[in-house]
Amino acid sequence: MLLNFDRLGWWKLVLIGITVLTAAFLLLPILFIAALSFGSSQWLIFPPPGWTLKWYQELLADPRWLESAWTSFRIAIIVTVLSVLLGLVTSFGLTRGRFIFREALKALFLTPMILPVVVLAVALYAFFLQIGLNGTLTGFVLSHLVLALPFSILSITSALEGFDKSIEDAAVLCGASPFEAKIRVTLPAISHGIFSAAIFSFLTSWDEVVVAIFMASPTLQTLPVKVWATLRQDLTPVVAAASTLLILLTVLLMVLVAVVRKGLKS
Amino acid sequence: MLSRTDAKAAGSKIPAGRLTLTDFDLTLPALGLLVLFFVVPVAILLARSVSEPVPGFGNYAELLGSSTYLRIFANTFLVSGLVTFVSLLIGFPVAWALAVMPSRFASVVFAILLLSMWTNLLARTYAWMVLLQRTGVINKVLIGLGLIDKPLPLVNNLTGVTIGMTYIMLPFIILPLYGVIRKIDPAILQAAALCGANRWQSLVRVLLPLAMPGMAAGALMVFVMSLGYFVTPALLGGTANMMLAELIAQFVQSLVNWGMGGAAALVLLVVTLALYAVQLRFFGTDRMGGR
Repeated sequence: MLLNFDRLGWWKLVLIGITVLTAAFLLLPILFIAALSFGSSQWLIFPPPGWTLKWYQELLADPRWLESAWTSFRIAIIVTVLSVLLGLVTSFGLTRGRFIFREALKALFLTPMILPVVVLAVALYAFFLQIGLNGTLTGFVLSHLVLALPFSILSITSALEGFDKSIEDAAVLCGASPFEAKIRVTLPAISHGIFSAAIFSFLTSWDEVVVAIFMASPTLQTLPVKVWATLRQDLTPVVAAASTLLILLTVLLMVLVAVVRKGLKS
Repeated sequence: MLSRTDAKAAGSKIPAGRLTLTDFDLTLPALGLLVLFFVVPVAILLARSVSEPVPGFGNYAELLGSSTYLRIFANTFLVSGLVTFVSLLIGFPVAWALAVMPSRFASVVFAILLLSMWTNLLARTYAWMVLLQRTGVINKVLIGLGLIDKPLPLVNNLTGVTIGMTYIMLPFIILPLYGVIRKIDPAILQAAALCGANRWQSLVRVLLPLAMPGMAAGALMVFVMSLGYFVTPALLGGTANMMLAELIAQFVQSLVNWGMGGAAALVLLVVTLALYAVQLRFFGTDRMGGR
C-alpha cells in the first residue's frame, strides 16, 4: 500500500507536495544566483531593476579572477591524472591482493574522505610551513591528491570487483602478456569506474576550499580562495557572475557524464 | 614477505611475468603518499597539543575547562543536531516519494539533487547569504505577505547556519535513504494492509521500522559531516555561535597557538572517529562516504 504509488490515496498528494517543495528549495537558490548575475543592482535587489552584463565584464577584466581560475584548473588537471593513475595501481593491488592487512589498508586509504577537512588543512599547513611547500603548486597538488585519492580508489575498486578476472586470464592464455591483457582487456572493461574516478577527482580539487584557504599565498591562489576572500569583504554581484560560470560548468559536467554513461552502456 | 607467499598460495594459474611486483607492492606508492602527507602531518599536529607551549595536558585542561570553549562545543553539537533533524524530517518523505513515484518524475528530482550536490559549495553558500540578508528576497516576501513588519535577522546566526547547512546535507540523507526504501518489499506493506492495518499503522509500525537502519546511518553521517564543517558556518553564522572547525582555524591562523589548535583538532577527531566506529559497528561499511 504505502509503497504502491497508485494506492497511496491522498497521501500521494502530501508526498508529492513535499518533494516538489524540496526540489524547489534545492533548485531555486541556484537559478536565483544565475538571474542576479545579470541584474543591474549593486545591492543584489530582486527582481533586478534592469539587466546588464557588467558584472561579467568586471570579472573578465580583473586578471586576478582569471589567474586564480587558471591556477585551479591546472591543479585540478594534475590532481585528476595523478589520482586516476595512483587509484588504478592501488585498486589492482587491493582487489587482487590476498595479503593480511588488506582490509585495514583499504580503510586507511578511505580515511581522508571521512575525516573533517579542517584537521587535514591545519596539519598540512603546519607541515608545509616547515618544508616550504605552502603557496606552491606542488603543495596544492599533494594536498588535493590526498583528498581526491579515496574517491578514485572507491570508484575503480568497485569497477574492478565487478569485473571477472578470468577474462583477463583468458587473454593471457591466448598469448597476451599480463600487462598487455590488463591494458587491452581489463582497462576498457572498467572504463566507467576510471571515468567516475576522474570526474570525482577533478571536482574534489576544483571545488576544494578549506585546505586552499590555509595554503594560498598572495601570489598563488585558487578560484575558491578568491571567491572566499571576496565574500569576506562584501556580497558583490561579481561573485554572482563567477558562481554562475561555476554552475554552468557543473551542468556541462553532468551532461558529459550522462552522455559518456550512455555511450559506455551501448 | 607475507604478500608474496600468500599470492602463491592463492594459486594464480598465470605464470608471473618478468615483472615480479606483488599486489601489495602496487599499493605502496599511494601508501607512501598517505603516510607522508596525511598520517605524519596529523600526528605532528596532535603531538604539538601535548608539547606546546609546555609539555603536558595544559591545553586540554584549558580547552575543556573554559566556558567559552565549552559553549563552542555545545553550539557545534546543537547546529549539527538541528541540521540532522531537519534533514531527516524533510529527507524521509522525499526519499519515500522518490522510491514509489514513476521514474520519469523521479529522474527530474534526481537531476536537481545532483545539480545541487555538484554545484560549488561557495556558490551555494553565497546564494544563501544573498537570499537571507536583511534586504534579501525572503525578508521582502515575508514583509510583502504581511507576516512581519521589520526584516528578520536570518543570517549571521543560528537560523542562517541551519538553513545553509541543511541545504548542503539534504542530498546526503535523501540518496542513501532512497536506496534503503527502494529495497523494502512492497508485499510486506500489502500484507500489513491485508492484516487490517490502516495507513498510519502501516507507516509507524512497518515502513518506519524497516527504513530505520537507513535513517540512522544517514543521520549519523550527516551529523558527523556537520560537526567538522568550516566554510558554511564561517560565512552564514555569527561570532556568537562559532563552531569547532572555526575555532581550530582561529587558533592556528589568528592566534598562532598550535598547542590549542592541535588539542581542538584532537577533540574533533576523537568525536568523529567514535561516531564512525558506532556506524561501522551497527550499519557496516556500505554507507560510508554516502554514495
